[in-house]
Amino acid sequence: MSKWQTLQTRSFLESTARQRAQGLVDEGSFTELVGPTERFISPHLPELGEAVEFDDGVVTGIGLLGKHPAIVISQEGRFIGGAVGEVGGAKMVGALKLAQSIYEKLQAENPAEVQARRPIVLISFETGGVRLHEANAGLLAHAEVMDQIQNLRHKVPVVSVVGSKIGCFGGMGFVAAATDVIVMSEFSRIGLTGPEVIEQEMGRAEFDASDRALVFRTTGGKHKYIMGDCNYLVPDSIAAFRQQAIAIAALPMDAIENLRRIGSRSAIERQMQLVAMAAEVSPTDAKDMWKAIGNENPQQLIDANYTDFMAQAKRLTPAA
Amino acid sequence: MSEQKVWNKTQRDTQERMSHASQYFKPGTKVFEAKDAVAILEAVIRSGDRVNIEGNNQKQADFLSDCLCKLDPARVNKLHMVQSSVPLASHLQAFELGIAEKLDFAYAGPQGGAVAKAIASGKLKLGAIHTYLELFARYFMDLTPRVSLICAYEADKDGNLYTGFNTEDTPLITEATKFKGGIVIAQVNKIVDKVQRVDIPGEWVDGVVQSPKPFFIEPLFTRDPALITDTHILMAMMALKGIYAEYGIKRLNHGIGFNTSAIELILPTYGEELGLKGKICTNFALNPHPTLIPAIESGWVESIHCFGGELGMAEYAAARPDIFFIGPDGSMRSNRAYSQTAGHYAIDMFIGGTLQIDKYGNSSTATAGRVAGFGGAPNMGCDAHGRRHSTPAWMKCGNEFTDQQNFLGDVPRGKRLVVQMQETFQEKLVPSFVEKLDAWKLAEQAELDLPPVMVYSDDITHILTEEGIAYLHRCKGLDQRMAAIRAVAGYTSIGLQAKPEETRALREAGIFKTPEDLGVDRSRANRSLLAAKSIKELVDWSGGLYNPPARFRNW
Amino acid sequence: MALTQLKYEFSPATPRALPVPAVHFGVVGSGDMEVIIENKDLGGKAVATVVTPVTGFDHVWEMVLRRFMDECQLGNVAISINDNNATPVVVSLRLRQALLEIEG
Repeated sequence: MSKWQTLQTRSFLESTARQRAQGLVDEGSFTELVGPTERFISPHLPELGEAVEFDDGVVTGIGLLGKHPAIVISQEGRFIGGAVGEVGGAKMVGALKLAQSIYEKLQAENPAEVQARRPIVLISFETGGVRLHEANAGLLAHAEVMDQIQNLRHKVPVVSVVGSKIGCFGGMGFVAAATDVIVMSEFSRIGLTGPEVIEQEMGRAEFDASDRALVFRTTGGKHKYIMGDCNYLVPDSIAAFRQQAIAIAALPMDAIENLRRIGSRSAIERQMQLVAMAAEVSPTDAKDMWKAIGNENPQQLIDANYTDFMAQAKRLTPAA
Repeated sequence: MSEQKVWNKTQRDTQERMSHASQYFKPGTKVFEAKDAVAILEAVIRSGDRVNIEGNNQKQADFLSDCLCKLDPARVNKLHMVQSSVPLASHLQAFELGIAEKLDFAYAGPQGGAVAKAIASGKLKLGAIHTYLELFARYFMDLTPRVSLICAYEADKDGNLYTGFNTEDTPLITEATKFKGGIVIAQVNKIVDKVQRVDIPGEWVDGVVQSPKPFFIEPLFTRDPALITDTHILMAMMALKGIYAEYGIKRLNHGIGFNTSAIELILPTYGEELGLKGKICTNFALNPHPTLIPAIESGWVESIHCFGGELGMAEYAAARPDIFFIGPDGSMRSNRAYSQTAGHYAIDMFIGGTLQIDKYGNSSTATAGRVAGFGGAPNMGCDAHGRRHSTPAWMKCGNEFTDQQNFLGDVPRGKRLVVQMQETFQEKLVPSFVEKLDAWKLAEQAELDLPPVMVYSDDITHILTEEGIAYLHRCKGLDQRMAAIRAVAGYTSIGLQAKPEETRALREAGIFKTPEDLGVDRSRANRSLLAAKSIKELVDWSGGLYNPPARFRNW
Repeated sequence: MALTQLKYEFSPATPRALPVPAVHFGVVGSGDMEVIIENKDLGGKAVATVVTPVTGFDHVWEMVLRRFMDECQLGNVAISINDNNATPVVVSLRLRQALLEIEG
């Protein structure tokens, strides 16, 4: 078995950012850009006596999904919790700009081939958001990434891939929400404010951050899938995420637009309906919402394996 | 002649105390309400009493412990607490408030620092730090409790108790207290019409109360496989090849920690490959470790007797009656005293971690400013000198233990394997091998008679680090033992004193073995060897019977 | 509050070339490190640079690196390590794994 084939069988959750990036695209097609040997380390961390990493915690590169160039951004949670600083943020922005220039070149030179060969962006999130050690630069990076995602709208699908241990929190939670498509595994999470901060601000009675089961059924993949906050739930393997990415790359751009959860009049209407529903149910636990959506036995769904869950779970607004 | 001699003073005193308590009981029952619990304790506890609050490293009579702290120190004081462990804040609060004065215990866990402080401030007089069995023994000798505050899952109106999966210390405490005329009060999670099984007869219990919340229980033996590192796995591979297989270890105890969890999780993979199934790890004195599930499911294990329960494992254990000790009602019963006895007399190997090992091989978990206590490890981490039965593992180790013959002449004797499995450095580069144990400093600070040593050097047979295995019992004399310890001590200051030619000689003599000497392929030491890589996979192995506590769930 | 930078030089008896231009391995997690080993004309010598927040372990780093160099006999290579409290066993492991990365 080749190294790439071995990667396919690996747990996405257990893999490093680089393994995820290499495994998400076709065998042998990955080229890392601004990789570790370029040594773009954070200029801020050494001042604070904090350990540095040669890639500043973000792997960027390009590969192929069939005929589609796939621009990959992959965050590494084990380095300072995947927090986004100046260099890592700039690498994210640069990768998104590359996607745009590839698209524009294709559009200009070979417009007939756009559907078949347009690029796709895969962002594998593993982060709590801004790196506090370099907060201003990190925040700025968040804004620039959002900007770039808007520039790619209707042109290049931007896909959030969330299957990591830390998941996607803080400012990057907003960024994920702004992408076209979200793919998750049940072992990963998306949220804005992290569980510990909610507990600190609202009290343990409101949210017990040490209760991981509670944290996961509030922010985890299964909940996001039922609530329509993520489009696809896949098993925890690199191959499963890759298969989903291939399927998304093949979709026409208007179908991609339909997968968006925010950012259009119809999406806003759906959100308002959800707000009204939540007000009516006044849930004290995610399970209350699952029930209101038509899932008779939420606990059983929580414990169900992937196949059973997919067969049984009823969703709020199944996206196209 | 003078007046009639009185032989039942304690019983009479108990009757007198209970007469003050009787008003709170529901008529015709032993049941009282939580709101009256403080009044009941006030009625039955007198200054200077020896009092036991049931609490070990798992279940805790936490409600009654809180109630004890609400007594008026002007009326009830100078209590002598005799109890397995003091892991709750309220255990120490009783001393702060001046209700309790003296402590005899075995394990402090998270309150180790508070114990040290209370000793230093003069609010706590320390009797002694014991092992569990040692303390239990004294309950029947010179430390019999006058009043015991215990806990159970269920009670009926007559005081019959169901302690089930978490029976732990309850029978022993109750027997020591009640049969010497004392008073036993139980907090239970639920008052029921009929208990599921009578673990403690109602006659031995004086009062029961349904606590406002279920008793606190700590999932102390749950290790998330997601946190097992490549180093743990390398050491686990060495352990299987160099110790388990070498000696054919069938009956054993695993100390708490990620190292032993790693061993459990590579039995169905690496162990299977080495052809060891049925040859090792068949009988355990062990808490129901979730990480043992894959090995149990793969048919490695014949029996497990448990000291206590482990949160989330009750249903799994109940569904495996061929393996665990299950009552006629279908639920498991643990018993710390029995399992400790099994761990002392009937295992051939104890393997566990520590915090510090000195240059002679003595080990301790005590650090300056923390009186952690011993728990059960020393009784398993030693050769039981009363042992008279033989097994191949015990005999092989005894035959290799040449220094033993200095006292025995030509009479053969076996030896329990006592293995310290410890990385040379812990987190933040704290060295595990030291010139002098911190226990010495602690002894001075806390005015202990002797430094608290968990396992003495003369009991240790093997030290296993990432550098290799030192077969200490094969050494002749202390000098050679110290050289073998230096050889496994890696880059710590002790290890840096190793002389290359000395280490080479030890390797030739089979006293020190590196992974290469053992034929362990380092490149295979990674997480792909684990039969389960996450708590979720343990649940899958168990067929959904293992129900992990919320804090271990990531789904 | 700055990072410590340690530099070491080794002269292997029978210098062996790295079969690829460069190899990278590891993640700078807590208690972990990353390494880049790359070809560089150093007249047969090898140099190693360690960047770490930890102080007081210069001698241990030297010994761990020396043992690795003795084993692999790489010459004309520059080794760059970013460390975050890795223990000696983890350092040895990552260095070996970096070389395995080339073979695999």
